[in-house]
Amino acid sequence: MEAAGISAGIALDHHDDGHDDHHHGPPPANRSSRVSHEVLGMLLFIISEIMVFAAFFAAYFFIRLVAEGHRWFPFEGYELPVAIAGVNTAILLSSSLTMHWAQVSIKNGNRFGLKVGMVLTSLLGATFLFIQINEYIHIGFSPQDHAQGTIFYGLTGLHGAHVLVGLSLLIIVTVRAFRGHFSPEHHHGVEIPGIYWHFVDVMWIVVYTAIYII
Amino acid sequence: MVAKFRGPGMYRAALGTALGTALSYAIIGIFRSWYGLDPLFKGYAVLELSLFLAPIGFLIGLGAFDYWFRWAAGRPTIPDDHSSHGAHSWRDYFKVNTDHKVIGIQYVVTSFVFFFIGGLFAMLMRAELAQPGRQFVDPSTFNGLFSVHASLLIFLFIIPVFAGMANYVLPLMIGAPDMAFPRLNALSFWMLPLAGIMMLMSFGAPGGSFASGWTAYAPLSVTAPEGQVFFTIGVQFAGASSIATALNFLVTIITMRAPGMSFFRMPLLVWANFSTSLLVVIATPFIAVSQFMVLFDRALGFNFFNPTGGGDVLMYQHIFWFYSHPAVYIMMLPGFGIISEILAVKSRKPIFGYRMMAFSLLAIVVLGFTVWAHHMFVSGMQDWIRVPMMITTAIIAVPTGIKIFSWLATLWRGVLHLDTPMLFSLGFLTMFTLGGISGVMLAIIPVTIHVSDTYFIVAHIHYVLFGGSLLTIFAGVYYWFPKMTGRMYDERLGKLHFWTTFIFFNATFAPMHVIGIQGMPRRVADYAEQWAGWNMAISIMSFFLGLSALLFAYNMIVSWRGGPRADSNPWNALTLEWLVTSPPPIFNFDAIPTVVGGPYEYGVPGAVHGVLKGAEVPQPAGATASGASHGSATKDQE
Ligand code: HEM
Ligand SMILES: [Cu+2]
Repeated sequence: MEAAGISAGIALDHHDDGHDDHHHGPPPANRSSRVSHEVLGMLLFIISEIMVFAAFFAAYFFIRLVAEGHRWFPFEGYELPVAIAGVNTAILLSSSLTMHWAQVSIKNGNRFGLKVGMVLTSLLGATFLFIQINEYIHIGFSPQDHAQGTIFYGLTGLHGAHVLVGLSLLIIVTVRAFRGHFSPEHHHGVEIPGIYWHFVDVMWIVVYTAIYII
Repeated sequence: MVAKFRGPGMYRAALGTALGTALSYAIIGIFRSWYGLDPLFKGYAVLELSLFLAPIGFLIGLGAFDYWFRWAAGRPTIPDDHSSHGAHSWRDYFKVNTDHKVIGIQYVVTSFVFFFIGGLFAMLMRAELAQPGRQFVDPSTFNGLFSVHASLLIFLFIIPVFAGMANYVLPLMIGAPDMAFPRLNALSFWMLPLAGIMMLMSFGAPGGSFASGWTAYAPLSVTAPEGQVFFTIGVQFAGASSIATALNFLVTIITMRAPGMSFFRMPLLVWANFSTSLLVVIATPFIAVSQFMVLFDRALGFNFFNPTGGGDVLMYQHIFWFYSHPAVYIMMLPGFGIISEILAVKSRKPIFGYRMMAFSLLAIVVLGFTVWAHHMFVSGMQDWIRVPMMITTAIIAVPTGIKIFSWLATLWRGVLHLDTPMLFSLGFLTMFTLGGISGVMLAIIPVTIHVSDTYFIVAHIHYVLFGGSLLTIFAGVYYWFPKMTGRMYDERLGKLHFWTTFIFFNATFAPMHVIGIQGMPRRVADYAEQWAGWNMAISIMSFFLGLSALLFAYNMIVSWRGGPRADSNPWNALTLEWLVTSPPPIFNFDAIPTVVGGPYEYGVPGAVHGVLKGAEVPQPAGATASGASHGSATKDQE
């Protein structure tokens, strides 16, 4: 997916300042901003991501409020499992906390905290996806049945795809953490996937509210 | 032999493409057997998946991801030894190269290839339209021709050629050694040819190429033959490429400006690309999503645009135009930047109202998102949206008007050097103004209702895109040709190219206003007898217009190979790219230059914009020490 390609590009593109001593390279660029390339790149990428969601929310708006004969759940016996999804929301939100813990740990040089935090975050993310897929299996309608189903699967599936991308980034960070990478001075590789993960979590709150609550 | 397939390059890319296709067969086979479907390999399912996976396989094979794969696995990355910087032979242009100057040329040349292919389709269409009735192609082929023509020229020419030129000159202009994310830059380039080839391949699809125009309205695009998905998926690659480049530009501009270059000392080309990149980052996701929705409706039977299932057809147009109106500015703002550079240099005067020029760009970015439904006045959308959209559309002409008047005031009492780049710039000023005027006419609902879907629209879009964007592209290519190639182009041929283009452009497109108002419909292979005379004239003129483009190609190729050597600053320009040799040294600057004044102080005695380290203006100690050693090292290398 295009999101995956770009986010990998932003998160993983790396300075090679460290190698400059060993061979001739370009003069170091002037830094005209305090923000680092990677963080700024990720923030801008998140703007694009928000617009991807915005386009799906536009579809949600049309299907729920504008289209001929528009209606919303529950109808004709179709119901959404608000409570289970609520539990899932809690799981995803707590993964933001563990992520934050991992980030703080490595800033303080606590490698153990980093590793445990990353493993926990990845597990919570995977649990979220598992419950989500389970919900799909038992929900009783398909995207082919009606536009309401289409946009339900569309929005939650889009978000699920983002969880998957985020989870892949988290696993990369975890692998690297266990291989001894990152230090209090160099932890961009944790920070940037972290920003993405927090974004995915906040986006879920919006999706959850729009689909299940209101 | 095995080694050829293991290392990054075209061999491994071919292998990657084959593996991507094989993987698509496997995935479809597995899923269909799981669901017990028959036949196991459904043609269109495999096709749609491999349109994603084969290009990705190609990119992996080519080596666009090698560094990141190693990084992700936590293995030691191969330190970039800059061997991929610079190009020593034409072969280097077929590799993943991280040098922004090489990527810039890759971009520009690739886009011009698609320009000539798209232009060829235009010639075929005009041949068909020379007379009423059916001449050379059948109606559905004609639909394919205009669709692929527009899609190639918009997504594979105008948008990327601007990105390519900026790729080359923008880092130089702000005094940066490269873009912020060089590897991402290489990846963005390589997605482009894939998108273009995909769109061209659609002619081989059963049922012919995609034929629903560059707008691909649902439900037509949902029910059209398989050729359609080559557009649906091709656009995803072109879109991903432009988003990645836009991020790269924004980060480069914000974080890598030379010391002393405040935002209000940036050349307007940099401002223009800053604004364009904001538009790309915000708007492009909408076209990506609109095409994904079409794909889901087509391939999996979703109901986004299916009214019987509770979907909404007009929703497609809203989402599409929420991208595509900003996209017309994505196709124009970089051109505004080019014109600002050239007009100031060639009339030897500071830009009039520099700050207004910058602010009007930002105003266009904001207002650009408020007018999308002016493309939908006759679509049957809610009536109440019409008048607000008419008002915002009239308002958005104001910042554009400000720019036109600033340019005119820049020319006022200047010492005009009427060489090729300047002629194209002046041509742009006049033609784009005419296109803007027909645009404001179209903003007026009663007018639009009368001329919607007629040749009046064709005239408008060609006055803004050909007379606007393309003329700025020609101006920019001539202007930076010495910098990019180290050679001068042939000035006489250049002027001839301008005059033939200017005359035959008007002869081709001006009459379309007339037949449009008379009601001749666009996008149809045949027309009523009453327009036969006009169309014959238009077709003949358009062939001459086509020939004039060949003059350009000839001039570029011959001058690149054997033109006289260009010195570092043939135009006496102030901006930083002209401080270094033509073409620039491999890392742009031996040491980062310092900016000490505005970019356009032409005619101001003693004014300088930037100085190289070690030049007259004294530098603080410390910084110079490392700068000097770097400097000597580069000289040794040369
Ligand atoms: C003063 C500025 C402009 C105004 C007020 C304006 C207005 C409009 C309007 C109202 C339409 C819709 C006509 C219809 O379909 O009934 C239109 C179509 C179009 N405009 Fe403009 N325009 C302006 C500048 C531009 C520029 C700068 C570009 C590109 C560089 C552009 C490209 C197009 C294109 C491609 C279409 C046709 C879309 C299609 O295929 O249906 N316009 N314009
Ligand atoms: Cu528009």
